[in-house]
Amino acid sequence: MSIIKSTFKNLESVNSKALVTYTVAGDPNLDTSEKIISEIVTSGADIIEIGVPFSDPMSEGPIIQMAHERSLVNNTSLVDILSLSKKLKKKFKTTPIVLMGYFNTFINSLNSTKSIHDINDDICYELKNNGVDGLIIVDLPYEESEAIFNKLSNYEIDLIRLISPTTNDSRMNEIISNSSGFLYYVSLKGITGADIDSYDELKKRVQQIKNSSNIPVVIGFGIKDQETASNMSSFADGVVIGSAIVDMIGRMKKEEDNATLNKISKFVGDIKSSIQ
Amino acid sequence: MKDKEKYNFPDADGRYGDFGGKYVSETLMSALEQLETTYEDLKDKEEFKNEITYDLNNFVGRPSPLYFAKRWTDKLSGAKIYLKREDLNHTGAHKINNTVGQVLLAKHMGKKRIIAETGAGQHGVATAAVAARHGLECIIFMGEEDIERQSPNVYRMKLLGAEVCSVNSGTKTLKDAMNEAMRDWVSNVDDTHYIIGSVAGPHPYPKIVRDFNSIVGIELKEQSRELFGRFPDKIIACVGGGSNAMGIFYPFLKDNSVDLIGVEAGGSGIDTGKHAAPLNDGSIGVLHGMKTYLMQDNSGQILSTQSVSAGLDYPGVGPEHSYLKDSGRVEYDSATDEEALDSFHDLTKTEGIMPALETAHALAHAKKIAPDMKKDEIIVVNLSGRGDKDMANVAKVEGLTL
Repeated sequence: MSIIKSTFKNLESVNSKALVTYTVAGDPNLDTSEKIISEIVTSGADIIEIGVPFSDPMSEGPIIQMAHERSLVNNTSLVDILSLSKKLKKKFKTTPIVLMGYFNTFINSLNSTKSIHDINDDICYELKNNGVDGLIIVDLPYEESEAIFNKLSNYEIDLIRLISPTTNDSRMNEIISNSSGFLYYVSLKGITGADIDSYDELKKRVQQIKNSSNIPVVIGFGIKDQETASNMSSFADGVVIGSAIVDMIGRMKKEEDNATLNKISKFVGDIKSSIQ
Repeated sequence: MKDKEKYNFPDADGRYGDFGGKYVSETLMSALEQLETTYEDLKDKEEFKNEITYDLNNFVGRPSPLYFAKRWTDKLSGAKIYLKREDLNHTGAHKINNTVGQVLLAKHMGKKRIIAETGAGQHGVATAAVAARHGLECIIFMGEEDIERQSPNVYRMKLLGAEVCSVNSGTKTLKDAMNEAMRDWVSNVDDTHYIIGSVAGPHPYPKIVRDFNSIVGIELKEQSRELFGRFPDKIIACVGGGSNAMGIFYPFLKDNSVDLIGVEAGGSGIDTGKHAAPLNDGSIGVLHGMKTYLMQDNSGQILSTQSVSAGLDYPGVGPEHSYLKDSGRVEYDSATDEEALDSFHDLTKTEGIMPALETAHALAHAKKIAPDMKKDEIIVVNLSGRGDKDMANVAKVEGLTL
């Protein structure tokens, strides 16, 4: 069983929901990222999403865009991020690590044979070997990734798909049958950090997905506080918190800012307790 | 040649060989499907075709003349140089050929709001003009740096009723304007149509923009038959995203006797790395929804580009150009800032036609090759836009104040 799958099973057995957190690797630098993520896991996060910075993060709102920019000031590369992942996996063996980013950084930074421009065996091997359990590639719809999905699954790496409010029923069924790990339901039409407009609609859609599949559904985009987290987790298998944490990181005074670390840790603990 | 007879791109997956595709977030997939269905459904209908022809004739002012640049030809003393006068179109460039078509698609889809990205401002102006004509809300995204160097066009867009949104993320130029337009589209996808201005972006955009611009090549075929009794020997066009080039090349792809040459922005020179020439000095990757040649570092991060012309200052290129480069059907060269500025002055002084700085790159290449060609050979340069918008920028580059 993949460690993502077993994480959801374990949570289910204690009647709990998954807290997925997103931070950008290398924001403000890799050592601090390691500290922040370690703090987040200790405070109750169940799955760690590590953002891979990209020069052109088209799906991100201003808060996460700035985090990508801060990270790229240090030239954070996928190679660096894999060593971060390896360290974290060593510390937290049962916590799944998911990398989230844009297709170009995955196909152009580890590829020794420059002519492939795709996710090949070398990349899969590197990902697996460094503790990566899943990938979310924002700009890779299922039409473009059938072969990649199969390749990753040979290495037991889940390709986590997104479903959005604009996804029609036939696409949704295709996506569900071509995904593994969990499904990431984008709660709104828009970019990360925006506001959710209709809970009822959201609930209906998530239930529709759950009726046609056993795969866990996690809701992301637009979850900012205990109240939204608690509402969402009442009908989903988990929630993703991103912009709210990244915003705190953006306000860090300096690298050794324990007050911010404590604030993040308390925030994560509060969210976790509200989705139990 | 067998290959040419088979040329039928994009395929059903929106690919030109390995290039192209639809690399966008899930939220946009349904909008792309709707656009594709609408376009495929309408494009061959008489009523739609008549609507477009009416606008091209009466709003844009087509057909554009094929002009013999006699004095410049004499000066270079080689091949005859003809100019396809897209600068004479309403709003001053080829960009309007695409926007008159796309705004009709938007209306057919019931979209009330139009957004667009712009670099030099020509696509922004062409979009604002059609939005005004159809009474649609219009928002133009433009990099902060470009707003500065293309200020006359910014004011034109505002006069046309558009809101110009300054983009200050990333490199503050065309690619960032495109990122911001995508973010807006994802947030307002129900009522908004995004008019992409080049043969770039996810499928079906590269195809739609090519098709709407290919009126340029179609007219040139007819004008060549009348004027020369044959096709030109060489056709030259500048390439940023590549819409004016695709428009003039496409109808000639199967005519092997015609050499097609795309000219990218060489900036300070290809060797310096400070340029915007992904086909000359880039590698394959994925950006803005397409797989294509890009300017990127070895971590897959997109590099900032450099060109005196805002409209060519883009790190990617339309996927069909990437295919045509690899297949060898089109030759892609480059011209530096300096060469482009020289040709800008040459044409202005010799022919009384002030070209856009983008177009000046194509002219610079004609200047390089014409003297070595025979006098009965014919070069056609796509004069994609006029240069009024560039006057302040040229003065600044040359240390003058207006």
